Amino acid sequence: MKHLNIEQKRPRIAVFDFTGCEGCELQLANKEETLGAFLDAIEVINYREVSSEKGDNYDVALIDGAITRPDEIERLKAIREKAKVLVAMGSCACFGGVTKLKNAYNLDEANREVYGDCPKETIPTMAVGDVVTVDLKLPGCPVSKDEVERVVQHLVWDLPLPTYAYPVCLQCKQRYTVCRFDMGELCLGPITRAGCNAPCPAGGLGCWGCRGPAENPNYEEFFALAKEKGFSEQEVKDRLAFFGGFEDVL
Amino acid sequence: MLFKILSKDGFRSLVEIILQSNEIIAPKKIGTKADGDPIHQFLPVTSFEEMDLDYRTTEYSAKTYFLPYRENLCTFDFEADDWEQKIAYRMQPRAIIGLRAFDINALTKLDKVFSKGRFPSPYYISRRKNTFIVGIDREPLEDEFCQSIGADIVTHGFDLFMTDLGDRYFVAVDSDRGFNLLNRVDVREVTDEDTQAYKEVRKRIQNGFKTKINLSNLPNLLDLEFTSEVWKKWGDKCLSCGSCAMVCPTCYCYGVSEEVSMDFKEGARVKQLYSCNLLDFARVAGGHNFRPDQETRLKYRYYHQHRGFLEDYDEPKCVGCNRCGRVCLAGISPAAVIRDLYEENV
Amino acid sequence: MCPLPLRSYDVRLESEMNQPLDFNRLLRLKPVAKVFKSEITGVIRLTEMEKLFHIRIIDDAERERFSFLPGQFVMLEVPGYGEVPISISSSPSNKGYIELCIRKAGTVTNALHRAHRGAKVGIRGPFGTNFPLERMEGQSILLIAGGLGLAPLRAPIFHVTENRSDFRDVHILYGTKDPDQLLFDYQYEEWRRIDDVNIQVIVEQANDSWKGPVGLITKLLDNVTIDPNGTYAIVCGPPVMFKFVCGQLSQMGIPMDRMFVSLERRMHCGMGKCCRCNVGDTYTCTDGPVFDYWSVINLKEAI
Repeated sequence: MKHLNIEQKRPRIAVFDFTGCEGCELQLANKEETLGAFLDAIEVINYREVSSEKGDNYDVALIDGAITRPDEIERLKAIREKAKVLVAMGSCACFGGVTKLKNAYNLDEANREVYGDCPKETIPTMAVGDVVTVDLKLPGCPVSKDEVERVVQHLVWDLPLPTYAYPVCLQCKQRYTVCRFDMGELCLGPITRAGCNAPCPAGGLGCWGCRGPAENPNYEEFFALAKEKGFSEQEVKDRLAFFGGFEDVL
Repeated sequence: MLFKILSKDGFRSLVEIILQSNEIIAPKKIGTKADGDPIHQFLPVTSFEEMDLDYRTTEYSAKTYFLPYRENLCTFDFEADDWEQKIAYRMQPRAIIGLRAFDINALTKLDKVFSKGRFPSPYYISRRKNTFIVGIDREPLEDEFCQSIGADIVTHGFDLFMTDLGDRYFVAVDSDRGFNLLNRVDVREVTDEDTQAYKEVRKRIQNGFKTKINLSNLPNLLDLEFTSEVWKKWGDKCLSCGSCAMVCPTCYCYGVSEEVSMDFKEGARVKQLYSCNLLDFARVAGGHNFRPDQETRLKYRYYHQHRGFLEDYDEPKCVGCNRCGRVCLAGISPAAVIRDLYEENV
Repeated sequence: MCPLPLRSYDVRLESEMNQPLDFNRLLRLKPVAKVFKSEITGVIRLTEMEKLFHIRIIDDAERERFSFLPGQFVMLEVPGYGEVPISISSSPSNKGYIELCIRKAGTVTNALHRAHRGAKVGIRGPFGTNFPLERMEGQSILLIAGGLGLAPLRAPIFHVTENRSDFRDVHILYGTKDPDQLLFDYQYEEWRRIDDVNIQVIVEQANDSWKGPVGLITKLLDNVTIDPNGTYAIVCGPPVMFKFVCGQLSQMGIPMDRMFVSLERRMHCGMGKCCRCNVGDTYTCTDGPVFDYWSVINLKEAI
């Protein structure tokens, strides 16, 4: 017998990496104190970093990384075909992430700069959602393991998905952090989606917006206050462009 | 009210006596802002020297030692198809030293909500009753408007309240445990000279309030100006970040959610302080949001502070500390909003 | 040895801290989070979206003491999932269990819909104000519901039909969008057979099997004649319905303070603390959910 007499489901999960640092994937294997329970709740079908098993019979695909090569497009489409639920995991998968910075340069020049005389086939960086339909986005650099756990709990027991209808400021305040603006720094906290528990400002670094925009952010006021506090338009734009989540206002 | 004179050394002994067996929360300097202003916060201290009672202000109020940002209301242990509910209240006594008059008045307002009425909160009461409060007065900052609210003078809600007379403290004693503790250190009776000196200091503090706001007729005005453009003017600036409510010494709105361990063996009902300015404050199941825009949410914030709370408890919820005005990156300050309402500045 | 400077104060000594909230014993301090552990003893499918749950407090003494008035609600705790405010749908005279009619609308209610008989849940309460039925004794009474509004209205319907001779004319008017959404359809016949109770049901869109009237709920009021000086109304349903129904009742001459409605807001505590249901100085959970219509139109944001 189970709680509420509800039978527990065991989602079949696969993790796939595209262009990125694989940090998000690694993050999934973090948080040792609950890792056992995490792996017990799911069935790992394909996850290079923890298991050598490979299979195609997955229900949920977690995508790490951005799309930067033609072959990645095909591979991603094939995954979408098989997956019932496709989750974009981390800022690269959700927005293009840091790798998207190359789109600001001439592609050939960028290729030569990085690979010299052995150029690789490359295309402008795209988010996963630019190529296939994404069912759920979990932005963050890296993705938050807590949030991934909540998603698994949703899949297994129908527990609620994490939602944050407020910007980072609230979580910053709830841990007694001194406002980075008071320290004379730029911070995207007022317009960035919360859920990370504001580790950067607490550690002495203004927010870089890795989780993308909060729900209904007040851009107008944010630009006005950044200007008033002495930050140039370029400085603010560079910051907004860094993780690719704020394309709409650039 | 009993009054005593406490020497500066006596105060040090008092702090050290408490520190022997209890935690002390006090204003502590933790850094300097870019503009050179010191940053103080109410934090646990381990020695007399760590306390800085000459602090100007703290960005955060001390309310979180009574209403923490996050607390478990209860926990559940799951076992097969059954569960067991467990409830625990914090019981360790501690002291908070260095609260200003308005911060103590903020606690007496919270007392009305959480200690009295039909549903007193055991979580709050257990913290409140187990906290020994030593207040201290000082001259106000320029933007504080406690006097207009009537929160600049405190008559109850503390154990000891000190006024610095230079080489000694004039102490108001409002509890038996305060009285007993004082008797363990160097304390003496008040003389006429002490009373004169105290009155002088009080006068200086009273005259120090520079920001005044007009509160007469405000509840009525809030009704009349329900559709005023003033709300749009300030609401358009609001970042909906909730910082104002987080630093406010009296804001107590909260949300409750449930968390479950990864193996579904343990669960908790978690109470988290929330803010009426946040986007989904009044969103209901099914998706309807009673307050979808910033101006409406901002308006209801003032409505609750200066009308709703007043109606329920005969005083405004605000104490005039202006922490919300200082923390707001968009520069929304209550003195300015209320002035605009009176003057219809849009 | 000096005594400790600060002695700890145990709030549990103040009263019976480990008992659930109990309004029949007015204690000063109550363990506000403690639930009555209960069992779902029966589940009845009403429509696609709504189910009726029979909920029985497990402890005999607690169950014996539990009582409520029509219009009050309980906070229903589904451990692990959360807590939701639900109006009680059963008769106040029923002591064995309470009935809660629940629509699938969010995480908690979805979990409930998947739960089976025997599942253990918790209840806190009852909370809130009630329909002042004692004030209505000797008077005529209009019981009007739209959609899910029949759930909170069912408790006063039970009270009125069980104590039929305490009231003069009794009219029950109910309307939904279409016949598939009618709640408790198995019960209309029972109410209809009670001597001297007028029950009428209307739908906005008929289907092939529907034989009754078609239109808005206000249409049913046209068939009702009342004595405006001796009639009370209880109206439950979506807020938009209040405007039209109460507006028409006003025109029929019923004073606004004799019409009672039940409001719904987001609630997290049920005790006037969390402020989520606060509108100015009014808390839907403690000042409501039952309000007279005059108070409602003074609540600027209520409907």
